[in-house]
Amino acid sequence: MILRTSGNDRFDRMRRIPWMDVDGISGKRCLVVGAGALGNEVLKCLILAGFCDITVVDSDYIENSNLCRCVFFREGDDGLEKSRVLARRANEVCPEAKIKAVHSMIQDFDDWEYDLVIGCLDNISARLHTNSHAVYYGIPYVDGAIDGMRGKIQTVLPGGPCLQCAMNGSHARIADLRYSCTGNSHIFVPPTAAEITTTSIIAAMQVREAEKIASGRSDLCVRNITFYDGVRGTTDTITLDTDKECPNHMGN
Amino acid sequence: MTIKITVVNATAGSSIIMELEPYDMMSDIINVAADHWGEGAGAFILRKGAKLLVASRTVGELNLSDGDVVEMIPDPEGGRQWVW
Repeated sequence: MILRTSGNDRFDRMRRIPWMDVDGISGKRCLVVGAGALGNEVLKCLILAGFCDITVVDSDYIENSNLCRCVFFREGDDGLEKSRVLARRANEVCPEAKIKAVHSMIQDFDDWEYDLVIGCLDNISARLHTNSHAVYYGIPYVDGAIDGMRGKIQTVLPGGPCLQCAMNGSHARIADLRYSCTGNSHIFVPPTAAEITTTSIIAAMQVREAEKIASGRSDLCVRNITFYDGVRGTTDTITLDTDKECPNHMGN
Repeated sequence: MTIKITVVNATAGSSIIMELEPYDMMSDIINVAADHWGEGAGAFILRKGAKLLVASRTVGELNLSDGDVVEMIPDPEGGRQWVW
């Protein structure tokens, strides 16, 4: 006789985590902004975790240099729209999920009826745009960022400090100087370093925060910013107050 | 009252001493430190222990005191760098 302890329930192991609300997760509408390296890893974790109503927004196109960090992209995808390829391949892994692709800059995207926003962006301007809309519409926002072997995540919950509260003049300067991967700048500076392990860790941490939020346990979310150093193998969490000068919180 | 604090560059490990007035803002500290270390191309935040020092706050508001040590750390942005 074989005693089965988990049956055919795909999420049996997840359900064993006391606070995890698998049914709640499956019912949440999730917006993923960015379909690059972080976006690939985030989508992988989201669909495996049971999120099944996901919209992916990105205006960029696949290059072969993406392949070492993007699990859903293949040789031969060069030049295709990142969002559409990512949505299609993720759907192959999880056919029951509804994954919608939007080939657009987030600044041109006008649908903010979501339960959760996950930022997988590569520039401050798009981050600020996403952040301000998430705050305005009261949608929890989990932002991730990578630079070589370092990365960070920040969870923005309604009523709490936001991305802009943590920023200063140094962010404003580079926001003025840079465009996204496909931006129209006058001088090109070589890409920043990036590799998959740091990307995977940051994406996993983002989706873990998303699981907490979707399970109705925002109280478990890390407050407020976690920095990860892949060389030293350390994480460091820094708390943050709402900035009284932040335009997203004025009048509150 | 003027205070002296130590600003540590988390990337390089070096440090500088700054003399500050109560009305000086955290953004002033970041600007001066970034200029000093030639870190102008990146984004940085300032922390004291486990607390991020909000840029618009002053030395007085945050109760920084003589001998305090704050750390300037790079804030990852991701993607490619483009300059004009």
